[in-house]
Amino acid sequence: MKENVFKRVFTALLVVFICLMFLTGMNLGHEDKSDSPLTEFYLENYEETGAINLVEAILFDFRGYDTFGELLVLYIAIAGIIILGKEIIKPKDEGGEGS
Amino acid sequence: MTPFILMYGIYLMLFGPVSPGGGFQGGVVLASGVILVLVTHGRTKVKKLTNHVESFDTIGTSLILLFGILGILIGGSFFVNLTPYRMTSLVFLDIVVGIKVFAGVVVLSVFFFEQGVDPC
Repeated sequence: MKENVFKRVFTALLVVFICLMFLTGMNLGHEDKSDSPLTEFYLENYEETGAINLVEAILFDFRGYDTFGELLVLYIAIAGIIILGKEIIKPKDEGGEGS
Repeated sequence: MTPFILMYGIYLMLFGPVSPGGGFQGGVVLASGVILVLVTHGRTKVKKLTNHVESFDTIGTSLILLFGILGILIGGSFFVNLTPYRMTSLVFLDIVVGIKVFAGVVVLSVFFFEQGVDPC
């Protein structure tokens, strides 16, 4: 009996958590940020980067370090998946039942 | 069909600073071309290409790291990955990012494709 009580509580919590995440996501983007100093900074001297496409200018130039972090995360994620995946697959090659 | 997809991907990647697109999007579009071949013609057709694609991923990331450090040496300020002509550093970064994303997505899709017909 104790087993599925825990399960039920856990799923309830999970559902609540997901709803909260969804709600926060919904009303995150509605503040009017058009007059923040940062945007002005970007708009004023993005010609300096020589890029016409402002998004690219920010992504690679003003925010180059963040993108670098992003790339690292991407790389580690893929490496992790492949390495762990190969571990899981191995039993199948030896005739075991692959998960 | 695939060469058109690949061409479009390359266009996206190279014309990042000018038109909408750029490193990440270009890489993914390129990968979609390869995946198309992977799904239709099965694994053997893509075998030759993909077994050394994994190294692209690593090379790409390390290249960007080097580029960043190089930027520090030349640019002086922190992680300013600028070569003399600021535009080229942007395009170079675009290409490297594109190749890296392309390699990553292809490796991933090939890996999951190899799980057999019913990826249990």
